[in-house]
Amino acid sequence: MFQNTKCECGHQNPPDTLLCESCGKPLVESDEPLEMRYDGVARRSQKRNPNPLDRVWSFFSSVRIAVIIIIITLIGAALGTIYPQGNNAAYYKETYGWSGELYHKLGLSSMYDSWWFVCLLVMIGTSLVICSLDRVLPLYRALSKQQIRKHLQFITRQKTSYVGTIEGDAEQWVQSFGNHLKRRRYKVHIDGTALLAEKNRFSRWGPYINHIGLIILLLALLARTIPHWTEENTIAVRDGETVQVTGTDYYVKNDKFTVEYYNEAELPDMLKQQERPKLYETKAILYECVSSCGEPGIEPELKEVKQYDITVNHPMSYKGVKLYQIGYDDEPLLQSVRPIIEDVKTGQQYGPFDLPMKNPKTSFEVGPYSLELKANYMEFALNEEGSPVTKSRDPKAPAFIFIVKGPGLDENGEPYMYFPLEKDKERFSQDKINQAIASKIQIRVDGMDNVKFSSYTSYLLIRVDRALPFVWVGLGICMLGLLMGAYWHHRRIWLRIDEGTLSLGAHTNKNHFGMRSETAWALEQMGITVESDKLDNGGYNS
Amino acid sequence: MGKNRKPIQIVILLGVLLLGGYAVGKTLFASDDGRPAVGKEAPNFTLLDLNGQTHQLSDYKGKAVVVNFWGTFCPPCVTEMPEFQRMYDKYKNQSFEVLAINLSENDLTVSNFVAERSLTYPILRDANRVIERRYGLSQYPTTFFVNPDGTIQDIFVGGMSEQDIDSRVEQLLQS
Repeated sequence: MFQNTKCECGHQNPPDTLLCESCGKPLVESDEPLEMRYDGVARRSQKRNPNPLDRVWSFFSSVRIAVIIIIITLIGAALGTIYPQGNNAAYYKETYGWSGELYHKLGLSSMYDSWWFVCLLVMIGTSLVICSLDRVLPLYRALSKQQIRKHLQFITRQKTSYVGTIEGDAEQWVQSFGNHLKRRRYKVHIDGTALLAEKNRFSRWGPYINHIGLIILLLALLARTIPHWTEENTIAVRDGETVQVTGTDYYVKNDKFTVEYYNEAELPDMLKQQERPKLYETKAILYECVSSCGEPGIEPELKEVKQYDITVNHPMSYKGVKLYQIGYDDEPLLQSVRPIIEDVKTGQQYGPFDLPMKNPKTSFEVGPYSLELKANYMEFALNEEGSPVTKSRDPKAPAFIFIVKGPGLDENGEPYMYFPLEKDKERFSQDKINQAIASKIQIRVDGMDNVKFSSYTSYLLIRVDRALPFVWVGLGICMLGLLMGAYWHHRRIWLRIDEGTLSLGAHTNKNHFGMRSETAWALEQMGITVESDKLDNGGYNS
Repeated sequence: MGKNRKPIQIVILLGVLLLGGYAVGKTLFASDDGRPAVGKEAPNFTLLDLNGQTHQLSDYKGKAVVVNFWGTFCPPCVTEMPEFQRMYDKYKNQSFEVLAINLSENDLTVSNFVAERSLTYPILRDANRVIERRYGLSQYPTTFFVNPDGTIQDIFVGGMSEQDIDSRVEQLLQS
């Protein structure tokens, strides 16, 4: 059906336009205050004879549809909170009976990852983009080319309006009215005897900026499903050890681990006589690998990037990587010893020499003696056949077999078995194993200064979330948009003087009460006293 | 504005279709926790053997590969090492390789062990348990049978007899 959409001012408006885009004349007959949403312009998607593409587009362009989708999503999200998520079928049946079973069967036990819930989120995202685009573009166009002289009906049918007579020169009156409005930070445009004053137009963009933030947020949440964007791993780092942070190029050193226990007085009776940790802390140093990363046989070159004392609930955080303290183990492990060699007969001591548990050198020159390391065991034991074996790879009961050459010893060297830990030395009868050589030399540690233990293993949870910065950016933009749209009000005043008759209309997107008092104030300055309530043209939303 | 309207609509709807399809698709297919599993690609590694030579798993594409994680501290590992040697001798003229990755033990411990048992297949040296973690190992020994196309045909946890190994290698060589 053909509809004549040409306004009397000569402007050709798109179908479904409410107010002429040029002069503002209402195109729908009514006595109510004007519908000023989107300045009366037509939504972009509203067109005659839509093709399938247009139909999809206008479906998502509808705010009504958007609200329906959001309500369905909210109901779904609420259902997901009835029982805990992500357990197996048996759990629901045992814990909650038939309702739990039904809950699981309906797929509500993992609903936030279900295809239909994600589908709803995608639809919300789509509707956000399309709804915004369809409204912001026409609104932007309408607001950036506003006519100063509006149709009389447009002015008198505003929610705030005033009609009266004035005396004197109309143009001068308009000028001085404009000057008063400028004091209230209005931008004033004058066309002879017509005026347009406007302020805080930017607040109209608030909702759209808010939507951009939401879209970034949704995309960031989607990005979290990309492999390696989110990872969770546990690593064990011994005191003094440096370990690669799984899934990254970072290395973390446990420089010192400390535990503080509750003292007796602090514990309730039922817990007395127990060791209860109060606070445990890893003094951690984070390194970034700068070269030879992951190359076999070459130590990676590390650069320190951060130091932080990690405690429970106070993770170290660096560029999307977070290290949480989740536990510790207090089994002490030997790291290295500095033993000496003693000539039993003369009592002469030689050394000390460095003997780390991890990859020690295989030959040592100590005083007149030369030692060759033949074998080492981390947790020494004898198997069923009586041969020496190691029970684990951690230095819990280390043992070393040296071939020793030197004064008073066989030319080809004599074997010497060495247990750095005193308890192992006795348990395995070191002197008995060594037999004759034990009466000639002794390898032993002189004082605890020469023993290095790592007392604790710190367990750290590594969380990599590369999408997190985008989530924050999205939320930030979202808040900015909210603030812009909520705190500032877009206010406009139109007026024209026709043969001594002043017609004034004012519009705001919120707080009409404030709009009226501001208008009353401006009229007051011109000597027209009118109660601000009298300016109200009726209708809703005052 | 009016002219660009249709292309803009098409671009936006296509973008929605792509991103939305990805998001919904993600929920329909089993999530990937990054751990190696049967049918998935075996995680790549580059390690040195005892002679200082570099071995990269991806260089063995086109060959059937057995990746075995072992340590001298694990009795079933020690027992199965000679079995792997026999398999290696049996199939070494075919397109087959055994890569035995030691579980980050000391150099001396490994070289003593290998010399004692005269093992001739490549013994690779992991350091600081990096590759072991990449393979998500929880028990020793664990053996991965890798197809010539690089995917995992089978994962065996625990000590293996000659037959256990043989039947799986035969399958590998057929694929």
